[in-house]
Amino acid sequence: MNRNIARAVAAVVAAVAVALPAFAGAYPLQVARNVMMYMALAITWDMLLRSGQISFGIAGLFGLGAYAAILGVVRGGMPVWLSIPFAAVVAAAAAFLLGFLILRLRAMYFSIVTLALAEMFRIVIHNLHDFTGGPEGIVMPAGVIFGGNAAALYWLTLAGLAVALAASWWFEKSRIRFALTAIGNNEISASSSGVNIFRWLLVAFTVTSGIQGLLGGIYVQSYGFATPDGVFSADFTLLPLAMALLGGMHGTVGPVLGAVLLGLVSEWLKLKIPYGHLIVYGIIIIIVILFMPAGILGLARKMSRGAEGGKS
Amino acid sequence: MTKLSTTDLLCRFSGLVAVNKVSFAMDEGEILGIIGPNGAGKTTFINLVSGIIMPTAGRIEYKGRDITYLPAHERARMGIARTYQLIHPLENLSLVENVMVGAIFAQGQGLKTARRTAEELCEELGLSDVDRDTARLSILETKKMEIARALANDPEVLFLDEVMAGLNADETHDLIATIRRIAVERRLAVGVVEHVMGVIRELTHRVIVLEAGELIAEGPYDEVSRNPRVIEAYLGGAA
Repeated sequence: MNRNIARAVAAVVAAVAVALPAFAGAYPLQVARNVMMYMALAITWDMLLRSGQISFGIAGLFGLGAYAAILGVVRGGMPVWLSIPFAAVVAAAAAFLLGFLILRLRAMYFSIVTLALAEMFRIVIHNLHDFTGGPEGIVMPAGVIFGGNAAALYWLTLAGLAVALAASWWFEKSRIRFALTAIGNNEISASSSGVNIFRWLLVAFTVTSGIQGLLGGIYVQSYGFATPDGVFSADFTLLPLAMALLGGMHGTVGPVLGAVLLGLVSEWLKLKIPYGHLIVYGIIIIIVILFMPAGILGLARKMSRGAEGGKS
Repeated sequence: MTKLSTTDLLCRFSGLVAVNKVSFAMDEGEILGIIGPNGAGKTTFINLVSGIIMPTAGRIEYKGRDITYLPAHERARMGIARTYQLIHPLENLSLVENVMVGAIFAQGQGLKTARRTAEELCEELGLSDVDRDTARLSILETKKMEIARALANDPEVLFLDEVMAGLNADETHDLIATIRRIAVERRLAVGVVEHVMGVIRELTHRVIVLEAGELIAEGPYDEVSRNPRVIEAYLGGAA
């Protein structure tokens, strides 16, 4: 019964999301694109978190994908449509190879190294002036994909979000859920149950990084240019993280909820106090960590459980 | 038939020799007690044979194959399973899903088959209401879940690290009967670490005694318990 309601709600939301360009203007579509982009990143961050690994490297893989896409076209002569999956492949391949080095690390050490990697990607691209355009960035000669059509750009980002949602759903419905949950709980007992810890971490890291690269590719083709400071912006790490924290971690619904709330609030705040939205993000992160570490979903669960207990 | 054996197994943690040249063998269908005073190296010994830590020297053989340096997850797949003294149920997974993990990864079963395997194991151990949150399990049920999780590997060798701790007399009796039944039905070789000697006497066919990492005695419990060396190890050297 409950599941049917959830399915019906999901179907309605999906239908509205697909049809949105029919009744929304350019500005709401732009806001929606922003929210969806961060939502997708928040989902991928959460997917890896289910194994207990906290990545601060989202911006690194996002930026790497963005540059892969634009350089694939400008330097490699690739068709624009192909540059987007190409971005995913480059980010996934980078994560796969780096995974052999960094997935032996745990907790804070893993987090710090992912942060450093993101910075390394940015610095390398910053300095390979002749190939990447250096700090001034690089422009797509043909301009924005789809000639900048607002509806088409919206659908492109929606497609990126759909990939993240599908992957997250796959992580929840397949044996990957058991592997990551077991690893996140206790690696020693996981290995006693036959879980090859390194292998499953490598799968999770490669898949989530690939999607982050894909989103970078979509982002860069939607704007037609890339600068190191733009596509490697710490926003692409911190905002998704704040969204997943606010909504609730370890599942698809939490990051989605957090992204909608925080995305809309920040859009509103941007109009009221430019850059002030970043302060609000900081405050939200602190409040969430202190008072509701399981996020809105966790709070809701606790309250419903409390109500149940009161009845019996 | 010998299932698992070690030869001169040695484990050194910087200065401390935790397991000192222990040689032993475990046969199919045998329940072996592993006893000794606190800090004797019992848990370290189980960690070594299950692959959680690697030995400094020596050799471990399973069904005639050298597994000395094989990682834990591969040993789990070959049929070596164990429980942990401190049981951590997997959060966000129900009772039956906790048990499924071994069936999925050690046996390579698909999710549907693994669920059936786990349900059967829960039934075998007398665990009902399998979709429960693990926070709602009693102590006895938690212990049974831990055993079910180990059995989900479909093991031939099973180590139980202090599963009786924290149980009252009735529950201990219940669990002894359960373990004995499982060992017979599955023709398991079982290694039991336990502090309660009544349990060891009732459950095991044979015991090995460790003291300061060394194997100091071996044999049926009644014989070993009269061994002066063992009495001295437990009561202290009354010189």
